[in-house]
Amino acid sequence: MRKNWWKFLTIALLFYTIIAGLLMEVPRLVILNETIRALYFHVPMWFGMIIMLGVSVVYSIKYLRNPEQKHDDTAVEFANVGIIFGVLGILTGMLWAQFTWGDWWSGDPKQNAAAIGLLIYFAYFILRGSLDNVDQRARISAIYNIFAFSALIPLLFILPRLTDSLHPGSGGNPGFNAYDLDRRLRMVFYPAVLGWTLLGVWMASLRVRIKKIEHQLDL
Amino acid sequence: MNNLVSFIRKEVTLEWRQRYAINGILLYLVSTIFICYLSFNVRSNQLNPITWNALFWIILLFTAINAVAKSFIQEKEGKYLYYYWLISPQTLIISRIVYNTLLMLVLAFIGYGMYSLVLGNPVGDPVLFLFNLLLAAVSFSSALTMISAIASKANNNQTLMAILGFPVILPMLLMVIKISKNALDGIARGESYDEILTLLAINLIVGAVSYLLFPYLWRS
Amino acid sequence: MKRLTIISAFILSSLFVQAQDKIKIEESDYGNEQVEMADEFRKEGKIYVLTGVICLILGGIIAYLLVIDKKVSRLEKEIKKP
Repeated sequence: MRKNWWKFLTIALLFYTIIAGLLMEVPRLVILNETIRALYFHVPMWFGMIIMLGVSVVYSIKYLRNPEQKHDDTAVEFANVGIIFGVLGILTGMLWAQFTWGDWWSGDPKQNAAAIGLLIYFAYFILRGSLDNVDQRARISAIYNIFAFSALIPLLFILPRLTDSLHPGSGGNPGFNAYDLDRRLRMVFYPAVLGWTLLGVWMASLRVRIKKIEHQLDL
Repeated sequence: MNNLVSFIRKEVTLEWRQRYAINGILLYLVSTIFICYLSFNVRSNQLNPITWNALFWIILLFTAINAVAKSFIQEKEGKYLYYYWLISPQTLIISRIVYNTLLMLVLAFIGYGMYSLVLGNPVGDPVLFLFNLLLAAVSFSSALTMISAIASKANNNQTLMAILGFPVILPMLLMVIKISKNALDGIARGESYDEILTLLAINLIVGAVSYLLFPYLWRS
Repeated sequence: MKRLTIISAFILSSLFVQAQDKIKIEESDYGNEQVEMADEFRKEGKIYVLTGVICLILGGIIAYLLVIDKKVSRLEKEIKKP
């Protein structure tokens, strides 16, 4: 039970997110109106994706230092959950963008970056699929994971700059990215990010444990 | 260091001796440009600069992927073993990156010449544009060399090379396209410093990461 | 060993760049009656229905996750036993 305290924290945080996210007062902003509440559900997907992929890279590095099966499993499963978060983030983002900016795909830098991140990780899984030898697959995919992630991160900072003129915040069309969160929004936003991220960790850890059992059965 | 230079020289001589490979890539580049010219069906200078720019870089990107792909994929097993005894993995990756940079430079300049011949040349600031070609050659080769090393370990190489390479090359490509757009418009060079710096920074990161990771790949 | 630490340092260091100009959200934004919100909807208390529905769904999904978690724990124990 004691080891599981964070799962209860996850549950509590998620319920808090939904209840407070729907019921608490939010600033009344033009264009956004009520949809500002999507902040608590859509943006954490994006954060969650980056955090999950980051964890995946950390485990890839761990694998290279110390080639153990469990590190590879962890890296893969976190990448998996990261992809799920990314897809959800993109879909919710599209829905929200359609409402606020009037286009399903509005060329928002974050949207593009998320799409590229997904491309990288789809490629990662295809790479894994095309390698037969277990050790080789683990090592080479770990190398690609680190390599691609270190190319992706600068992109997250470049894209906003490149598309600045198109950026919905600066063109007189206030999308959410243009606003600085205030104290009251943060009170829900940070717990929301933590909650959704922990949910991702939970799902990934379940998958890792299942994989471990599978490996033990194989022996 | 000495080792590095002699290894690069060896690569260049080898390439020169069996010219069909580099000729193949050149022909690929030229025919692609010609196909673009024919399919746009335009007379010179009628392409709008943005299209001109994007088309040029896409052609170069595909050529780069094809050219760099062969740096590891087409090697024979025996040759690997030979390298393995001869030099350290760090020397190998750096020499490959430098060699590919040279190759890309040649391709980029020939491509630029050919491209501006048939599709017109709206470049306002040629010096910056040529400098950008140099930067692009360095970027493409630093990112793609490592990818080709990774792809060479897997089975269906060529496709894999492309899908692994695209997302990784994208940040650099975007910066390069931005700088080249600046050069096209001929705006003040100071405007491009930011992009050039970012591009160099990404290059540094990608180069350093390949340098550090390659030994792990090499061991297998 | 050192190498990988350097890689992680690289990746991390690239995280700390750039800030953007943002619009501050003012206290007055909360009382800005000109912007239309779903006030009517809230007044009628229907928002509680919506919240309830979403909470129930979340609760169901989490209960399912908990069941899977338990099952995996049981399997882990069983595999360790023999």
